[in-house]
Amino acid sequence: MSQVHVRNLQKSYQVPVRETGLKALRGVIRRQHSTVEAIRDISFDIEPGEVVGFIGPNGAGKTTTLKILSGLLHPTAGEVRVAGEIPWERRGDYLRQISMVMGNKSQVMWDIPSLDSYAVLGEIYRIPSSELQRRIDELAAMLGVTDLIAKPVRMLSLGERMKCELVASLLHQPAVLFLDEPTLGLDVSVQRRLREFIREYNRRTGATIILTSHYMADVEALCSRLIVIHEGKLIYDGALAGLLEKLAPFKLIRLTLDGDHADGALDLPPQAELIERENGTITLRASRADTSAVTARLLGALPVVDLAVENPPIEAVIDQIYTGGTV
Amino acid sequence: MNVRAGWMLVRRTWSSWMQSRSFFFLLAFGWLIGPLIYLFVWATAAGQGAVDGWTRGEFVAYYLVLINVNQITYSQTYWTVGMMIQMGSFSRLLLYPMAPVFDAIASEIAGKVVYMTFVIPVTAVLALILRPTLSTTVGNVALFVIALGMAWALRFFLGYAQALLSFWFTRTDALLAAQEALVFVLAGQIAPTALLPAPLDRLALLLPFRYMLGFPVELLMGRLSGAEILTGFALQGGWLLVALSLYRLTWRRGVRHYTAVGG
Repeated sequence: MSQVHVRNLQKSYQVPVRETGLKALRGVIRRQHSTVEAIRDISFDIEPGEVVGFIGPNGAGKTTTLKILSGLLHPTAGEVRVAGEIPWERRGDYLRQISMVMGNKSQVMWDIPSLDSYAVLGEIYRIPSSELQRRIDELAAMLGVTDLIAKPVRMLSLGERMKCELVASLLHQPAVLFLDEPTLGLDVSVQRRLREFIREYNRRTGATIILTSHYMADVEALCSRLIVIHEGKLIYDGALAGLLEKLAPFKLIRLTLDGDHADGALDLPPQAELIERENGTITLRASRADTSAVTARLLGALPVVDLAVENPPIEAVIDQIYTGGTV
Repeated sequence: MNVRAGWMLVRRTWSSWMQSRSFFFLLAFGWLIGPLIYLFVWATAAGQGAVDGWTRGEFVAYYLVLINVNQITYSQTYWTVGMMIQMGSFSRLLLYPMAPVFDAIASEIAGKVVYMTFVIPVTAVLALILRPTLSTTVGNVALFVIALGMAWALRFFLGYAQALLSFWFTRTDALLAAQEALVFVLAGQIAPTALLPAPLDRLALLLPFRYMLGFPVELLMGRLSGAEILTGFALQGGWLLVALSLYRLTWRRGVRHYTAVGG
């Protein structure tokens, strides 16, 4: 049985409409409402142990979906089961199996050391104290925060705080972990460290992880599967590589030529298209199928010093989806 | 919810608040100014004689006890709960396998410990200077303790239920401020309720506010007859039931509403 089961999920909100200026007075007498459809019709299943990236532009419905899955929101229609339970019933048995990390909301208290917050969580989740200590030691060591958890949280940097936050979220060993923008605002090396940790945690515990992020590097590094939503609709569900192939059915070939030929005339194969030529480096575009033939030909015909075949930048592909709204 | 978790919550909140204790001491100082002013007004009015059977020393005793009772029953968390709901940080509490009210109760207890470390010494010094007249019995002390616990619960749950209205409305602090104003007039702060002019005195006896503050003080001072004690406890118990029902109602409906519209 799948760990997360979502069928025909819908969520709409009634929001008050306010006019500007004096016209706003009308609203005092009679409130106008409009309906916002945050999620229109989403279905998917996630198997235990999967790490799934949940992406979409701002306002696509990602956080709304995560809130429904974690039990913070009732859907308007549809069926949801997470770990076999209906999330919004918020039963203790359910809440003990999940955890949600929100990049912008903290559960470790500001003025006191994280360790004190962990002690409270240990009691809330009824973790025996020796076991709690073992888990704190293990998670803190994995994240490299053993020395930091005894310091008041307000003395820590944003990245350090996020690591302490992750320890807090994982103490009760949730079977399902929701990560909403966990790397928000963090520097590149902390982001990388967190990614490594999440991957390692998934490998060790087999937890199911659903991650939203605007950093494609997070998704690229962690998620074998990607769910893309746009304006409340699911527009792609599958492997990241598949999405790239579908959206960007070409590769970029970058070559540097011998100094003497750097600015000379080019005899390019007909399947290759010149994109850019700058400081002796040439960027070509060729369809995936033609890439090997084109490279072979280039290597034979030109004095190539360096050659690299790359996928188009993932950000460009994602931007294409967000702007176009389809895959 | 287990007792150990509750205790840990209290300890955590307490140690967090002790980090900024001077802020809380200043708050507590602000709260004792009101009753202190009325202490001096009534003590001066009584002078060497009495006002309606109250001597100067009795007014001093009444207000010094009232300052402590007010501090114990005053519920600061309901202001913060409303804010947490509006800011969305209440979601964090909904994710724990624990009813969020325990978090508020833990803050209450932690807060009391912080405030009382300030208020008890201050009133003790005032007692040395102002020489209150207080003769009480073991029985009255026992009744006082029971009524004090109920007064805290009544003030807390009524306030908490109002704070939960934030699930529907953006600003509920005006309602809380109205409650505090009524407490000021009808609970025994501006004057002991027995000294209020008619019909305010009768109103004060029927409404819940006296049972949040003045009633336990009057019990301790032994100013109530057996019949008054019985009706007092009946009304206090009745209002406590009302407050608990309102809390349950606003909690159940509120959380359903919150999860329908999003935090």
